[in-house]
Amino acid sequence: MNTMIHVEGLKVTYGRGAHRVPAVQDVTFDVGEGECVGFIGANGAGKSTTMKALMGFLYADAGVATVCGHPAGAPEGRRSVGYLPEVAVYYPFMKARELLELYGTLGGMSRRDLRARIPEVLEEVGLPGRGNELLRTFSKGMQQRLGIAQALVARPRLLVLDEVSSGLDPLGRHDLRILLHRLKSNGCTLFFSSHELSEVESLCNRILMIDRGRIIREIAQRDLQAIGHERSLESFFISVVRGEAPRHG
Amino acid sequence: MDRLRAIAVIAKGVLLEAIRRKDVYAIVLICCGLIGLTMTVDFFDIEGLTKFYREIALKLMDTFTAVAVILLASRQLPREFEQRTIYPLLARPIGRLTFLLGKIAGVCAAAGFCLGLFMAIFIAGITALGGGVGWPLFLQHVFLQMLQMLLLATACFVLSLLCSRDAALALAFLFYFTASLFSGLTVILYDFAGPAGRAGLWLLTYAVPQLDLLDLSEKAVHIEIWPPLGWGTMAALAAYALAYSLALLAIAHALFRRRPL
Repeated sequence: MNTMIHVEGLKVTYGRGAHRVPAVQDVTFDVGEGECVGFIGANGAGKSTTMKALMGFLYADAGVATVCGHPAGAPEGRRSVGYLPEVAVYYPFMKARELLELYGTLGGMSRRDLRARIPEVLEEVGLPGRGNELLRTFSKGMQQRLGIAQALVARPRLLVLDEVSSGLDPLGRHDLRILLHRLKSNGCTLFFSSHELSEVESLCNRILMIDRGRIIREIAQRDLQAIGHERSLESFFISVVRGEAPRHG
Repeated sequence: MDRLRAIAVIAKGVLLEAIRRKDVYAIVLICCGLIGLTMTVDFFDIEGLTKFYREIALKLMDTFTAVAVILLASRQLPREFEQRTIYPLLARPIGRLTFLLGKIAGVCAAAGFCLGLFMAIFIAGITALGGGVGWPLFLQHVFLQMLQMLLLATACFVLSLLCSRDAALALAFLFYFTASLFSGLTVILYDFAGPAGRAGLWLLTYAVPQLDLLDLSEKAVHIEIWPPLGWGTMAALAAYALAYSLALLAIAHALFRRRPL
């Protein structure tokens, strides 16, 4: 299995001089091709920071991060990646179709490919026929669906999704789960964070728990099933974070 | 992917913003109103009126284009950071320099769009008054205005990377509106300054681009006196504007390339 994401001893700090605050410390993990890995943690635990470092938006103070075999942030590595940021407000003056054209073209797609792909991807995220509507008329949930569409438009091999179900209603979350299942079964590698732990539990081969900038637990699928028989992932997560369950195991 | 294609598609987004957000139309409407008022002035003979019209219309055309450019350029990067739209853009296989070039190209395209509209209005007005456009000088003026807008746009990008959006806007307006005052003052003060003052003024003259050099509006008003500029002068002025724009672009890139997002 090829390694799509490799992170070793990653350290990212915010601020300067005496005001430096470590956001992520000594984070090490791998994500293999075709895997679906959930990244969970409380707000401020370091999930978004890790993902931003993978995409090259933040620079590591120490450690190594590679994406698709290239150093994090290298344009070559981003060729096969789709990224969903945590809560973005897309250009209100653009139409959905124009936004996907912009991202698709930057992703290296030809105009001809995009003509066929845009209606397809809008259908996949539950926005069929909305391509010619201005984004200022889109609700928060529709913006999030469009965010997922922009991540998918160039048919990436690896998806990095930050707070993927944020802003979605129950129907939206249900549709998203089906979409992610389909992507996973098509061989797409998924690395995503979410506060919807039932969604993470149902989808992932592996889960990484992060707390105060450090990976505190890595759970494989067989262990996940064992947890599922005893209690929910949510209660397990809470007990690990509170120190009631072992942090490394 | 082809860098030029990436620059073009990012620029198209900026142009769409300029056209769809309607600030440009508001600026054009106000400018048209003021130009229209100029045409109603009746205390000149016909020759005086066309000259007065040419002077006011060209000044308005240049000023309002600069206002549109400053408003558009100063908010590009801060808005991308605030609304987090920069993440999906830079998650594509493009570098940060390509992104900056696309944004600057878009602002220049919007400036071209504004100038095009204003030119049409100016030409319609001068034709209605029965005056001549003085094409060679007028086109030279428009060309240098475009270069001035490129310089202004890159300066706005540098300012918006150094300070907040509001501060960048204020500084960019100050820079534009005090440019001619600054050039005039430098010349006057130089004669009265001591050696250290002279060195400071000399440094300022070369450190701050002289927007006045790229303004031919005075000459374009008095077309009967001023011949068009020679090719050598035009090339030197274009090189001057491009050199400063490139220097400002390099500063913007240096500030942006390792900036944590």
